[in-house]
Amino acid sequence: MGVFDYVLAGILAVFQGPLLFEGLGFGIPAAPLMLFFGFFVGIAVGATPGLAGPMAMAISLPILISIFGVRPEALLPVFGFLIGVMKGATIGGAVPAILFNISGTPDAMMTALDGYPLARKGQARRALRIAHVSSASGDTLSDIVLFVCAPFLAVLVERFLDLPEKTALIILSLAFVAAIMGDSVGKGLISVALGLLAAFVASGEDFYPRLTFGLDALSGGFPLTAVVLGVLIVGEIFASIEHMWWNGPEPPAKVEDTSKRGGLRPGDVRRIAPYAFRSAVLGTTIGALPGVGSTLAATLGYAFGHQRYKMRKAPGDPQFGDGAPEGIAATEAANSAVSGANLIPVLSLGIPGNAAAVFIVLAADSIGGFNPGPSVFKFTSPEVNPELVVAFGIFTLMALGNLLNWTAGWYVMRAMGIMSRVNRHVLMPIVLLVTLTAIYVQETNLGALWIIVGFGVLGYVFRKVGIAVLPFVIAYILAGALERAARQAFSASGADPFFLFSSPVSIVLIVAAVAVVTLLSREAKLSVGHRHASTVDQR
Amino acid sequence: MLKMAVRCAVLVAAVSTGPVVAAADPGNWTPPGPIKLIIGFPAGGGVDTQARLIAQAMEDRYGWTVLPQQVPGNGGNNAALAVAKEPADGTALAIIVTETLGYNAIVAENPKLALENFTPLATTARFQMGLVARAGGEFDSWGKVKAASKAGKPIRLGVATPRIADVTYHLGLESGVDFNIVNFKGGAGVMNGINAGDLDLGWVAGVQSKYVKSGEMVNVLSGIPTPLVDSPDAPTLGKVGSKFYIDGYFVFVGPAGMDKKARAALAEAIAAIAMDPETKAGAMLARAFGGASAIRGDALEQYLAKDRSAAKKLLQAVSR
Repeated sequence: MGVFDYVLAGILAVFQGPLLFEGLGFGIPAAPLMLFFGFFVGIAVGATPGLAGPMAMAISLPILISIFGVRPEALLPVFGFLIGVMKGATIGGAVPAILFNISGTPDAMMTALDGYPLARKGQARRALRIAHVSSASGDTLSDIVLFVCAPFLAVLVERFLDLPEKTALIILSLAFVAAIMGDSVGKGLISVALGLLAAFVASGEDFYPRLTFGLDALSGGFPLTAVVLGVLIVGEIFASIEHMWWNGPEPPAKVEDTSKRGGLRPGDVRRIAPYAFRSAVLGTTIGALPGVGSTLAATLGYAFGHQRYKMRKAPGDPQFGDGAPEGIAATEAANSAVSGANLIPVLSLGIPGNAAAVFIVLAADSIGGFNPGPSVFKFTSPEVNPELVVAFGIFTLMALGNLLNWTAGWYVMRAMGIMSRVNRHVLMPIVLLVTLTAIYVQETNLGALWIIVGFGVLGYVFRKVGIAVLPFVIAYILAGALERAARQAFSASGADPFFLFSSPVSIVLIVAAVAVVTLLSREAKLSVGHRHASTVDQR
Repeated sequence: MLKMAVRCAVLVAAVSTGPVVAAADPGNWTPPGPIKLIIGFPAGGGVDTQARLIAQAMEDRYGWTVLPQQVPGNGGNNAALAVAKEPADGTALAIIVTETLGYNAIVAENPKLALENFTPLATTARFQMGLVARAGGEFDSWGKVKAASKAGKPIRLGVATPRIADVTYHLGLESGVDFNIVNFKGGAGVMNGINAGDLDLGWVAGVQSKYVKSGEMVNVLSGIPTPLVDSPDAPTLGKVGSKFYIDGYFVFVGPAGMDKKARAALAEAIAAIAMDPETKAGAMLARAFGGASAIRGDALEQYLAKDRSAAKKLLQAVSR
């Protein structure tokens, strides 16, 4: 099979995969339909303050698995839904920011800076439309880069990286994640270390489980989903409950202009195009780095846009922050461009860089038959490599999602303004109930509930002391790969304890890891922000 | 609803076709409830795939409800320990490998893994364990491997379990070939390691079949006492100096003291499905493991006892 045959097989796998139902003599394939549902849900949760894409992905994953089962055919429908949520949430976040000046996420705060003033001027529709067009173009660019780069990077990694270099690469990724997220590098490292420690319980290569204190209940280790959902979702719910306990429920959102006037004006597209394009390139580049989320992309996109605008703005144009369409475009294109590019490290290296990617890995791990990483991109012939077909299926779903973004996105986005009025004190108990139920459905074991609550408390404590939770989760997921790679490199080198310094490439990677941790300045980190510590709103 | 309809259809078919079905019907036994099938290895691998196909065939053929459940880890030990705690009425069984109750049980030093704590039911297939290398490379025959070792070239050899590592270490001692033995996750992991160039050689039990048939890979040695189906010319371990083999089977077991009728029915059902090339499970076993091999009853008990004593001897040989 050639490259073209694999691409075709991937497309066919999406459209000829398992049928969801049959109607009027036609079979409805599950994957595209699930993508559509996911997209709809994604915009809805993006538009709901206090909810975000990763939260919806977390809750829906166990439910999806119980619907589709753990068969290889389940992969594409489940990925379809998750990709839909990821894409939908990215554009949905602009809705409350523009209409009500509610920024559930830091990136949306940047959108609100210009979106809300524009809406107050009676141009809410125009502001939304600009956000939509910029967001969709950022998404398109980033998808294209993903399709081209992921296979290329994977092949490169397989060809040039030996076992010690692979170990060093994982160490570098963890160092990067620890250094870039949260208040301080030290806290990031604590988060990573605790994530590794939790993952080392009952794993390893021996026939007896380690670090279990002889407890039978721990002999299988902590279930991956329970840990991830506990720290990310339940911890966030606990923190929200505490916030509401002290501050009382938030008042309903004040509805700003919802007039039907407006829409794109002549010349708008030409006006915002350079800003959207520059931000899209920026967002894509940032998205490809593990651990750096859409927030930094939005912040930098806005800052660069602002600089350019200062030099080129016409005399009568509004200032940035005063309702400049360019401000909305610069922010939205940047944060949307992150989502596609974020999958580059997952698909090519098996390293999840943000919360959305964590759930893609989690889905692959729970279902089986697809192990994100360099081994996916092997163009075997005549034997078909089923993982590669799935990878091209994912690309097809991404492209379809992008198409939805351009077409249905606008209408769904406009309709979802209503979600902004749902209050947190109503939402959080529902999310908690659904999360606990979903975990019980997947694990069929009450012990899993204790584990998720335990890790929820840990996530809450992390938030209280300002430790970022995502480094914990990413370290938990990568711990197995790290230990395996290190053990393998050690054995393959004939038990050389200095295997990490055995080749120039691995020395460079290790030096880079040390440099990232030591040199990353505190100021730079503050711009990424401490809100990573308090939320999973990394869209 | 659909499942119920299928079950009714199976029932109707069973009644209407009388004697034909009775021959395949395992002793008219009906499980007292849904059967829990504990799978001792991760989702997506060879053990998982055959277990789920066999479970599906049990539902289709006999109308039983089979609920597969993953309890992976520690070379099948977790699954074995889990099934030992279940009721012995035929509603719980586990699929593991014979190595789990042999070598792995001894190394784990866990008395709960003693053979008498289990009821062996039936095997499904024998490992077609081969030492695999890329065709046309530096290591695609035992002669080349020995020559490379003599020339002082480090040889990376991938293994999926500690027992295989010990047999390989023993082989190195006996044949004078120095191996850097590297542990990978499952046979598929070893194959990936060879494909990625991280490994020179690796022990693989079946996954290599399609690559060997397409000429991409070769079996350098046979790890079992008999020649491999795909590569009858590859010398066996015994011929190159080893006193031990990497023999083994995928095996279904239940808790100790299983009800006799249940044991016979389940063993019969597993064997019938595995040996029938018309079933998906049978086809998969033929494709990936060179055909099904169903040992039951006393023969299986004797095999497991022999396997355990061989494991003891192996551990003594490598700890000298």
